[in-house]
Amino acid sequence: MTLGATKYIGQRITRREDRRFLTGRTNYVDDIRLPRTVHAAFVRSQEAHAEVLSVRTERALAHRGVFGVLTSEEAALVSRPIRCDSTFPEWKGTEFPVLAWPRVRFVGEAVAIVAAVDRYTAEDAAELVDVEYRPLPTVADLETAAEPGSDLIHEAWGDNLFIDRKGKVGDVDGAFAQADLVFERTYRTHRHTGFPLEGRACIADYNPATGTLTLYSATQIPHLVRTGLADTLGLSENMVRVIAPDVGGGFGIKAHLFPEEMAVALLSMRLGRPVKWIEDTREHLAASIHAREHVHRVKIAVTRDGTVLGIKADLLVDAGAYSVWPWTASMDVGMATNMILGPYRIRNYEFRARAVATNKCPLGPYRGVGRPSAAFTIERAMEDIARELGIDPVEMRLKNYVPDDAYPYITATGMTYDSASLQASLKKASEVVGYADFRREQARARAEGRYLGIGFGTYIEQTAHATQEFIKRGVPIVFGYDSVCVAVDPGGKVSVDSSLHSHGQGHETTFAQVVAERLGVPLADVRVRFGDTQSAPYGMGTFASRSAVLGGGAAWKAADIVRANILKIAANVMEAAPEDLDLSEGVIQIKGSPQHRMTVAEIARIAYHRPEKLPADLMPADLTSIQSYDAPPGYGTWTNSAHAAIVEVDRDTGFLRILRYVVIEDCGVMINPLIVEGQVHGGVAQGIGGALLEHLVYDERAQLLSATLVEYLLPTAQTTPSIEVHHLQTPSPYTIGGFKGMGEGGAIAPLPALANAVSDALAPLGVSVDALPLSPDRVRALIEAREGEARR
Amino acid sequence: MQSPLPVSLTVNGLPFDGSAPPRKLLSDFLREDVGLNGVRVSCEHGICGACTVLVDGKTVRSCLMLAVQADGSTVTTVEGLARDGELHPIQQAFWDNHGLQCGFCTPGMLITAYELLSHNVNPTEAEVREALGGNVCRCTGYVFIVKSILAAAATMRQEAPR
Repeated sequence: MTLGATKYIGQRITRREDRRFLTGRTNYVDDIRLPRTVHAAFVRSQEAHAEVLSVRTERALAHRGVFGVLTSEEAALVSRPIRCDSTFPEWKGTEFPVLAWPRVRFVGEAVAIVAAVDRYTAEDAAELVDVEYRPLPTVADLETAAEPGSDLIHEAWGDNLFIDRKGKVGDVDGAFAQADLVFERTYRTHRHTGFPLEGRACIADYNPATGTLTLYSATQIPHLVRTGLADTLGLSENMVRVIAPDVGGGFGIKAHLFPEEMAVALLSMRLGRPVKWIEDTREHLAASIHAREHVHRVKIAVTRDGTVLGIKADLLVDAGAYSVWPWTASMDVGMATNMILGPYRIRNYEFRARAVATNKCPLGPYRGVGRPSAAFTIERAMEDIARELGIDPVEMRLKNYVPDDAYPYITATGMTYDSASLQASLKKASEVVGYADFRREQARARAEGRYLGIGFGTYIEQTAHATQEFIKRGVPIVFGYDSVCVAVDPGGKVSVDSSLHSHGQGHETTFAQVVAERLGVPLADVRVRFGDTQSAPYGMGTFASRSAVLGGGAAWKAADIVRANILKIAANVMEAAPEDLDLSEGVIQIKGSPQHRMTVAEIARIAYHRPEKLPADLMPADLTSIQSYDAPPGYGTWTNSAHAAIVEVDRDTGFLRILRYVVIEDCGVMINPLIVEGQVHGGVAQGIGGALLEHLVYDERAQLLSATLVEYLLPTAQTTPSIEVHHLQTPSPYTIGGFKGMGEGGAIAPLPALANAVSDALAPLGVSVDALPLSPDRVRALIEAREGEARR
Repeated sequence: MQSPLPVSLTVNGLPFDGSAPPRKLLSDFLREDVGLNGVRVSCEHGICGACTVLVDGKTVRSCLMLAVQADGSTVTTVEGLARDGELHPIQQAFWDNHGLQCGFCTPGMLITAYELLSHNVNPTEAEVREALGGNVCRCTGYVFIVKSILAAAATMRQEAPR
């Protein structure tokens, strides 16, 4: 199904949800104030690895204003730990307790929760909880943890490997035997995180009289949290309601069931009153979800003309202490395994992929999930190899890309790329950024002792992957679909209830555009709602660049059904055949006879209040349709993009300035280009943060050294440039509307693009970047290492 | 905990008389006592700027000021920008230019922009970016925020009496 002329889809419509955010009339979790609420603070471990010998609460309970304390030992008796097991036979699982008992495995893991009259008092009392630990050996370093004989995080395993998978496809040995060059290097991306401006937050409200639990939570996945809470706390799911109200950003970090949500719920069940927890920054940085800590050791077989023949990759991911629900600890390494091949036509591939446990915060999905690290490796390698062979890096890519006319293309690891425009995108990026002119400018600058560089970062990105892909990944929950309900009320207005939550993505606008377009009503007549499991249809939630495709597709299907039923009712009333009727902007006309018209409101009123006028096969309920959409064949639809960055590096300080940042993106048919551009900008800024600033640093004893925003630096308006975005549109041949997902993509390419630009800038000094972030001290260290070599 | 002290403020043009323990933050006081949810609290240590309000006409991080320190002051929050249901030109420009996504940083951004444009109604892009240096947005990459503020400045120049 593709589009002809459209009225709403494809338009740059300003967002319909904005007024409440602009005027302060929002409804984030912290804005919700329920009667008799008590406020929670967690007692968190300062030990990275220890036995919890005792948790004593006497002093805390005696503190004025304290209502209750729940300890880890008590919580273990009334809840099940979070288990998220891969279905792969190589898998070893963990039990992530609601509160750490009998061991803590990372700094910041919660040991007890205190409820008091206000947050200030709760924090005072949390300091009065006495926890006795017996320290155990800590394992902080990923590569050490992966070695045989390392100290163990989970003793029963015998090693620290959540998973260790190997694979070999094509003729790898032949490829390496034929190679003119075997390029060998290790690339590293570092631990950082999404840091949504609103941290985690929840209110649990257990009503002992009805036995119902309501959890207000800043989550991307309200239905999955409902299922997870019911399972771990032993509740009937029909007695649990989860409400995700306005949510201040997520980026994947809030797409988890968290132990804190369970602990707050348990305390509310004990006290019989609402318990509210608003996370602080230190808690967020230490104990929410981290991302991106990868080490990729690669060997690449290449011919003299730059043709890549094959890759051997040894991939290590630091997954932290526990496997997170519902993703497992193998998501990042699994994604990297496939996407090291990226946009390139490489048929011979051998890999080893290990997800490694350490005494650090669990690793989970963050915008891009494994792909920023994979793109860093392959895109850095392409430019490193190009430099070694004396080939232009753009030509190197164009030679090795999957060609634009070769889709659908099945990769060496069995991914089906449905469509893409890699060659066209990179050519356009070179043109827009003025690549040829830049080389002349760079030469002039070098002559003046200034270090300018250009770097490209390109990718093809699986989006809106559904049933088949998640079966392949071995996750316990197959995130196969999402659901939308479209209902016309007696007044002729349209309500759209979606299982996909919006926390910045603009669903209240884009889903309304799809429904208005397909149903044939004015945009102003459509209202989109989500976030409350009591009214929204069951679905997975917002992550993995899926909302436009799966939500847009479900909304499209439901709107089409309701439209057909409206036309059938109108045909009955107007004594015409349904196929002779037109419906547009809420008005139904007999084709060629515009004087014969009725409105959707008139038809709706008849349907609900004069049911005798309905055709025999329709009922009022037929003005409502709930549809799920799983985007068959379910392997995902593929977005691609080419980023180009121009930087200037100050040789003396190591400080770099981004002079230009150009994005060519192709996400197929756009529902709303304004929103697409906003998503790209935001992703790029997060990628810039990851490439240059953001770093969660642990010392060798697994103590977190960057637990405030004074150490963990976020990009500001001064560190980010004015990002230029251009579109290509290659529609998906598979999805409804030709839509593709694009929420994550912006964050994938900045890591390689900026590292390539810095390497290019400092090429005269022989510098080539193999690790991030590119903070001034680290850039200086790269320069000094080369200067040191030169002196020797 | 020490007993509460009286705190009297003028908030968005109206008087408010309350009391707060000495350690209570102005941000918490404005949210919990005055009831203004537009004061957003994120980092709570003065980095992100989400809680920015005007105190006696100057931007203040309300998470770094105690409520009792603000006694006797005039405070403006995001709720005080629109008049009679009509959005301030800065708010309108953010709407027109997609200057917000999740909305969490938006009140602080609007207040900071308000302070900038009340001193300089014709700022350059660099001046806008510098003024925003203490406000973190995690969603927009700042591109459309900067565009919004420049657009608001243009509107305000037209509206201002010559």
